[in-house]
Amino acid sequence: MSTSTPPRLPDAGHVKQMAEQLWSHVADADEHAATDLVLRMLDEGTDPESVLLDVIAPVQGRVGEEWAANRISVAQEHAATAINERAVAAVSVHPAARTTVTWGRVTVACVDGEWHALPARLLAEVLKLRGWQVDYLGAQVPTPHLIAHLHSTRADAVALSSSIATRLPTAHAAITACQSVGVPVLVGGAAFGPGGRYATLLGADAWAPDARTAADRLAQGRLPRPETDHQQFDDLPHLGDQEYSMVARNSASLVRTVFTTLEDAFPAMRSYSDLQRERTAEDLAYIVEFLATSLYLDDAELFTWFITWTAQILAARGVPAHSLPPALDLLARELKDFPRAGRMLRAATHTLTTAPSTAARNTA
Amino acid sequence: MWWLVDDTDHQLAREALHMERERTAFLAKASSTLLASLNLGRCMDVTAQMAAESLADAALTVAPARGGRLPVVTCLRGGAPAVSTLTVDPDDVPGLGEALRGFPPVPSRWIDPATAPAWMVPEGFGPVGSIVVTPLPGHGVPAGALIMLRKAEAAAFSDEEEVFTRLFAARAGAAMSAARLYAEQTAITDVLMRELLPPVLHQISGVDFAGRYRPSADHERIGGDFYDVHPAAVEGEASLVSLGDVCGKGLEAAVLTGKIRNTLHALLPLADDHQRMLRLLNSALLSSHHTRFATMVLASAVRRGSTVDLRLTSGGHPSPLIIRADGTVEQADTHGTLIGALPNISATTVEASLAPGESCVLFTDGITEAKGGPMGNVLFGEERLKRALSGCAGMPAEGIVEHVQMLAAQWLGNRPHDDMAVVVIATPRTHHLSAVNGHTRGRYTA
Amino acid sequence: MTTHPHPLRLTTVGIQDSVRIEVQGDVDYDSADLLLEEVTAQLAARPALTDVHLSCAGLGTVDSMGLSALLMVGRRTTVAGVRLHLDDRPAYLDRLLELTGTLDYLTAPVPSGAAEPSVTEERAARPTGPDRPT
Repeated sequence: MSTSTPPRLPDAGHVKQMAEQLWSHVADADEHAATDLVLRMLDEGTDPESVLLDVIAPVQGRVGEEWAANRISVAQEHAATAINERAVAAVSVHPAARTTVTWGRVTVACVDGEWHALPARLLAEVLKLRGWQVDYLGAQVPTPHLIAHLHSTRADAVALSSSIATRLPTAHAAITACQSVGVPVLVGGAAFGPGGRYATLLGADAWAPDARTAADRLAQGRLPRPETDHQQFDDLPHLGDQEYSMVARNSASLVRTVFTTLEDAFPAMRSYSDLQRERTAEDLAYIVEFLATSLYLDDAELFTWFITWTAQILAARGVPAHSLPPALDLLARELKDFPRAGRMLRAATHTLTTAPSTAARNTA
Repeated sequence: MWWLVDDTDHQLAREALHMERERTAFLAKASSTLLASLNLGRCMDVTAQMAAESLADAALTVAPARGGRLPVVTCLRGGAPAVSTLTVDPDDVPGLGEALRGFPPVPSRWIDPATAPAWMVPEGFGPVGSIVVTPLPGHGVPAGALIMLRKAEAAAFSDEEEVFTRLFAARAGAAMSAARLYAEQTAITDVLMRELLPPVLHQISGVDFAGRYRPSADHERIGGDFYDVHPAAVEGEASLVSLGDVCGKGLEAAVLTGKIRNTLHALLPLADDHQRMLRLLNSALLSSHHTRFATMVLASAVRRGSTVDLRLTSGGHPSPLIIRADGTVEQADTHGTLIGALPNISATTVEASLAPGESCVLFTDGITEAKGGPMGNVLFGEERLKRALSGCAGMPAEGIVEHVQMLAAQWLGNRPHDDMAVVVIATPRTHHLSAVNGHTRGRYTA
Repeated sequence: MTTHPHPLRLTTVGIQDSVRIEVQGDVDYDSADLLLEEVTAQLAARPALTDVHLSCAGLGTVDSMGLSALLMVGRRTTVAGVRLHLDDRPAYLDRLLELTGTLDYLTAPVPSGAAEPSVTEERAARPTGPDRPT
């Protein structure tokens, strides 16, 4: 979430107050009050970019925090997001947001599997305000669609958004595919890690922590045309050990095995309702997914962070996290022939058992 | 024997070898860069830029004219390619008209710099020494021409350089014509697709509509699921929603989908009688040659005061689910025969009423039959869908649609799936009646 | 589903005026044609046929193309005046047929060629059909 104050802003306090008001409308699921507020700000002459990034974006950030703290449900998160989307749409059609194209053309898309479209949508609107011709492809864009789009348009760059780290292997495929047709890629979103470390690892041409920085970066000048004969596997030599592909391919059977063994070890699990059992299986599936991603990136820290975060999320929902270490232990036993996976699982267990309640990193 | 070789010749041979290596590397780079893109503009950029870097002081790529306008990319050595569209007659430049026609092939042609039109010489280039126009031969279609300029102080193009230029031109021409053919093909499919893609939904006469569609395969944008919302011809009457699933997949399914949507559109005057509509549609689709069918739900929705009145009819399709304000999820009790395969069909229509914040969810079986979950082999199923919807009471229509599609997508993971379509009809939660009079629609919908 | 865990296998046994086809595996987009071809071939090869039994105990998944093929089988047997029996139906097949309103059509006790006035061109598929002794 960006907290920087743009120079054009007449009254930062007012904007903050408006963000607070918008939050209350969003929390009430009052779509009309939310759009009215945004339109009123624009009518009063507030810079549209500031409405998008200093009012709507912080509210969306807060939606995620409220979910993590179990103060709203996933369904409510979607309701809030839908209202924010409407607010963005209201900004985009307001006369104050009318611009002419003075720069080149940019394609803005979310990685396949990425459902959090709002950050990409905000960037698309900001780029339009700054005079770019923008093709906004939305959430969950399959890489073949993205490439077909690039073949039929003359985009100067692709801006690719992803918020969840587990989409990074897919993001890597998308980045390299765009580059292979000669279009440079700017990436953004929480998935790319603190300081955009995974953006560099996955060979993105540029990274930006937020929409304003992304727009500034694109304004600095053309991103250089990527080398088209680059090979994806050059970037991640550790993938040669096949640990990632084995874990990713067998994730469902790993979850099944660990689930059944856990049930034997924890007789209490047998009294779980179907819903509780499914939640438990889902938690295991996430763990395996994050393990696979950490293997892909060769980053044990990512896995440890996820496990610590999961422990916190479970605690916020009143679920005791004491089943996590045995689950990790069972996974390690299943993956005993996988040295990298074993090291990651042990490191995470160590952190869990020594400092159970501190997360290494913010979720945003 | 090598020691008898004259030292000057030896030096020359080394230089020639070096030059040959550089040229081979240049052609290899040209091939890999040009073949990577199927975009005509990008191919023109690359051609002009590479020519300006290695063969001349400036280069222009010219594509065949469209409607009397000539697309041109100009690039100075060390500069970035610049795009322009010129209203000029290529036949005014000797050799350019023939080169752009492509066939029969013509050789490169020298132009007297004094007769060159102003548009050919990039700004700030200075006095021109020599100009050569080289055709870019394509896949049996005209691909364009390459114009190269050298400064007055530079040497003119040698015969050898000209031969080499033709090798480069052959690669550039092949890339440009492939891009052009691709663009023509996609333009045709795009026109067809536009008709077949589901529409973007919004509020109509005080009723909220939202829909979302995910085709089965990543490479397809259309398939067997469809939905439409037809606003009432007269204000105060019901809008008609149709959502359905055509058997099969790919283009064949898409064609049947198009036929169904067109027929339903033509039957709109009968929209107050769902069963008659379905019977007529059924006989329109019946064919002696196949038993391809569709299953579908028709929903008529009209705002009355603060509620929305619904009539729902299923033609062999999973029944719609209604989310009440307290989170109860009801299944609409409508059943019927699939459409298009049997001579006689029957269907029942049910009525329902949606209070503010309540909604009705229409979906295709791609959602309920999504196979996956944490264990990898479980159907998403109607019960799981109902459970998810019970948490959606009071949500905006778009939010519910997004939520359902996201849950199904997460359930699937990376596994293959069928088409998935969801439409939500909802009564707006707030009594914001200005939304009903129609004046504000433009502001609230993008 | 594009994965193919249960490829379709058909085993046909003919006894006098009745034929029994054991259907094992998925009847879907990729395989539905095979079932239709087999039934059509049997109808053409055995003019005196009175009953076609599809034994469904080993049936895998049936997708919309599979259902479409079953409906075509139903149409062709009806036109030929042959009784179609879907034996040992798994519960989910019944659910699918009920949902789509096709259960009665596919499991009707007595065939009646007259019920299909709009598809009579189908007779060509089996020229001897209408004249067969009952």
